Amino acid sequence: MSLDQLKRLIKAVLPDLDMVIGWKQGHDGLTATPLFIRSEDDVEKLQIGPLAVHNLATFLPGLKDKKVGVVVKGCDSRAAVQLLQEKLIDRANVTIFGFGCDGVVSHAKLRKQFDAMGRADSMVRDGDTVTIEHDDESTALPFNEICPDKCLTCEFPNAVVHDHFAGERIERTPVASENPALAEFEKLPISERLDFWQNQMGRCIRCHACRNACPMCVCRDHCLATSRDPNWIGQETSPRENLMFQMTHTMHLAGRCVECGECERACPMDIPVFLLRKKMADEVKELFDYNAGVNPDAKPPLMTFETDERNIKE
Amino acid sequence: MARKYIAETDITAWLKELSGDNLIIAPVVETGTVVYRPYTSGSEVELVNRPVSSPKEAVFPQTELLFTYKQDKTPEDPGRTKVDMKEATPDRATVFFGPRPCGTRGITMFDKVYNCGKQQDTYYVTRRENTAFVTIACTRPDATCFCHSVNSGPADPDGSDVLLVPVQGGYVAEAITDKGTELLAYDLFSDAGKREQEANAVIDKAREMLGDPHDFTDAESSLYKLFDDMEFWDEQAAKCINCGACTYLCPTCHCFNITDQTAGLSGRRIRTWDNCMSYEFTLEGSGHNPRPTKAHRLKNRLGHKFAYYPENNEGLVACCGCGRCIERCPSGVDIRAIVLAAKERSDVQE
Amino acid sequence: MSAVHGRELRIIGFLCNWCSYGGADTAGVSRFEQPTDLRIVRVPCSGRIDPLFIVRSFLNGADGVLVSGCHPGDCHYSEGNFYARRRLELLKRFLPISGIEPDRFKYTWVSASEGAKWQETVTNFTTHIHSLGPAPTVLNASTPEDWAKVAQNAANGAGCGCGCHKERA
Repeated sequence: MSLDQLKRLIKAVLPDLDMVIGWKQGHDGLTATPLFIRSEDDVEKLQIGPLAVHNLATFLPGLKDKKVGVVVKGCDSRAAVQLLQEKLIDRANVTIFGFGCDGVVSHAKLRKQFDAMGRADSMVRDGDTVTIEHDDESTALPFNEICPDKCLTCEFPNAVVHDHFAGERIERTPVASENPALAEFEKLPISERLDFWQNQMGRCIRCHACRNACPMCVCRDHCLATSRDPNWIGQETSPRENLMFQMTHTMHLAGRCVECGECERACPMDIPVFLLRKKMADEVKELFDYNAGVNPDAKPPLMTFETDERNIKE
Repeated sequence: MARKYIAETDITAWLKELSGDNLIIAPVVETGTVVYRPYTSGSEVELVNRPVSSPKEAVFPQTELLFTYKQDKTPEDPGRTKVDMKEATPDRATVFFGPRPCGTRGITMFDKVYNCGKQQDTYYVTRRENTAFVTIACTRPDATCFCHSVNSGPADPDGSDVLLVPVQGGYVAEAITDKGTELLAYDLFSDAGKREQEANAVIDKAREMLGDPHDFTDAESSLYKLFDDMEFWDEQAAKCINCGACTYLCPTCHCFNITDQTAGLSGRRIRTWDNCMSYEFTLEGSGHNPRPTKAHRLKNRLGHKFAYYPENNEGLVACCGCGRCIERCPSGVDIRAIVLAAKERSDVQE
Repeated sequence: MSAVHGRELRIIGFLCNWCSYGGADTAGVSRFEQPTDLRIVRVPCSGRIDPLFIVRSFLNGADGVLVSGCHPGDCHYSEGNFYARRRLELLKRFLPISGIEPDRFKYTWVSASEGAKWQETVTNFTTHIHSLGPAPTVLNASTPEDWAKVAQNAANGAGCGCGCHKERA
C-alpha cells in the first residue's frame, strides 16, 4: 500500500536529511495537519489521503539552508517545480517524495453540505463516496460534491518531479474540462461581478492567510501589501482596499501561480479568492501557452518576450 | 431575578422593538459564512451556527475612526498652522445580538486593558457603555471548543447583559445586568416557569458533550520557564504560516495600529487591528526586530495569553476557549496542544 | 474643450517619456484640438508601468486609463515595451473577472512624430469613455459608522446602497 511504501522510503533517506515534511492526524476526525519528521518514531505518524489538503511545498523557501524532504501531491509538486524554476530553493537540498493522488476534501464545501463539522469522528473514502462517522450515525456524501474544484479539473495527479515515488501512478482524466466555479462566475455580466467582489471583500479581514499559504509568495515579511513606503494599500479594511490586495496578489502571481488553491482553502472567511488566480492562470495559458510549475527549466512568461507575439494582435 | 421566556417566532418582533432606540448588530449568513451585520427588518438572523468573527468588533472595530482633520491654510498668512480636528464620538446605542459566551467573555478581558482606572481609552469606553450584549448559550460544542479548560463554560454570563438559553420552541432569557433587565421589559416575554429546568438540562448536556477539561494549571510558570528554549518554539512553530487569522478571529486579541490617511489638506486618523504574528509588528525604526522569527512570535502569542496577561490580571487567562484559532488555522496549529507540550517540556527540564 | 458637453470624466494617461509624451507634445505644438479629460503621468518607459498602476487608478475612481509607449521594436531602452506589451495584454484580459470593464483600459503605441495619431487616440478614447459613463466605484466603507450608513441606504431603497452605480451630478 502506498502509505507503507512511503514510510519505508522516508525512513531509508531520513538519516541524510534534517527533516521530512508530511501530514499526520489533526485535531479531529476531519482534519490532518503538517508533520515535521525528524525521527523514525515521527514517520509512524505519517498519513496521506483525502484530508491531506496542505501544500507542504510552501514551507520550503523558509528552510532553504536545510536538507529537507517533502511529501507532495501532484498540485504541490508543481509548486516545488516553480520554486526551483525561480531558484528560490536549491535542488540539491530538496528530496521530493511523490505519490498518486486521487483528490482531497474541501472543508469549505463540506461545511455547506454537512451539519456536524465539529463532531465528526472519522472520514473514509471509498471510490466516489465519502462516509463520515459522527454523533453515533453515518453520513455519506458524493466525493465530487465535496472536493475542491481543482480536483475536478486535475491534470497532474502524480508528482511532476520526484526523487522517490510510492505506490502506483494514477491515470485519470479530469472530471470537468473547466473550473466549475469560474465557469459559473463568468456567466455573470460585468456589472454584477463588481457587486460580487464588493460583497465578498466586505467580509475580508486582511489576515493575509491567502498570501501566507501561497507557496509562491516568498516576500512574506517584506510584502508590498503591508509596506508604508510605498503605500500601495491603505490600512482601512474597506472592500476597495481589500480588493486592491487581491488584485495585487493575483498580479504578482501572473505566470507563477500553480493553481494549488491554497489561497482559497486558507481563507477563514470562505471567500472564493481562487477565482481571480485561476482566471489569471487560464489567461497566461491562452496567451503564452504556458503552465506554471511543470518544467523546472522553463522561463516564466513575464520574464521574457517575443519581438513578434503570436497571440497579441494590435 | 426570575428568568423569562420568549418564543422563537417572537424574536423578530423583539428585534423590531429594540431597533426603535438601538442599532442592532446580528449574525446573518453571507454566501454560506456567518458574520455580524447591522440588522434591518428583512434580514434573516442566524442563531444556530456560530459566527466566524468574534463579538469584539462591537467595542473594538477592525477599522475605527478616531478623528478627522483639515489643515486650515490661508494665503494671507502662510506661516499659520491651524488644524481643525473633529473627534469621533461613537455613542450610538447598540444591541449586539447573538454571540456565544466564549465570544462575549472576551470583552471583559478588553476592559482590563482599555478601561482599567488609570487607563481609559475614550473610544473603547464610549462604545462599551453604549453597547448591550445579548448572548446565546452554547448547546453544541465542537471538537475545537475548550471553554471549560479556561475557567468558563457554555453558559458563562461574564460580559453579557442578557443570556438566552435555547429550549424547545424558544429561549429562556436571563437578565445579567440592569441594562439587560431593560431589554427584557416587553410583553413578548413571559415567565419561564418549568422551562427553567429544561434550560438547565440543555446546559448540563452541553457541558457533558465538552468532555473532560484539559489541565492547564501551571501553564504560566511552564511558559516562563521555556522563554529561552528556542528549540521547543522552533518545533512548535514549524507549521505556522504567520498569517493573522488566529489573531483577527480571537475574541480577546486587542492590539492595534494607528494611521493617518491624508489626502491633500484633510484626512482621518484611524485605528486598525494589528497582529503579533507578523514580522512588522515589532520591527523597530532602527531595523532591529526583537521577534525576528515565527518561533519568537508564536512564543509571544502563547506567552501573552497564558502567562503575561494572567500575571498582570490575577491569573485570568486571556483565552476564552472558543477554538476559532484551531478551526480556522490553515495549518491546524492547536493552542491546547502547545500549552500541554509546554507543561510537559518544562517538567522534563526540572 | 471637452469632447462632450457637460462634466469631464477622470481619465488617466501613462505615457512614456520618449515617444508618447513627445507625440503628445507634437500634438500640442501643432495646436490640434482634443478633449481635456485626459490627465497625463509621464514615465520613463512603458516598461516601467506596473499593471497595478492601472488597477489602483480604477479602484481610486478613474473612469478610464490610457497607456501609451514607443512602437514595439523602437523602444528608447530597446526592450522595455516588449515586456509592457505582455503585461498590459494580460491585464486587459484579466480586468473583466474583477468587474472592471476592459474597454475602460486601452494601451497603444504612439511615436514622437505622430501628433495627429495622438489627437485621434485621445479623442476616440475620451468619447468612448463618455459613452460608457462614469465607472462604478468600489465601496470604501470601513468603519462601523460607514457600514451603518450603507445599510441605511440599502434599507431606504437606494439601489444596492453600496454607491457602486451612483450617477455623478
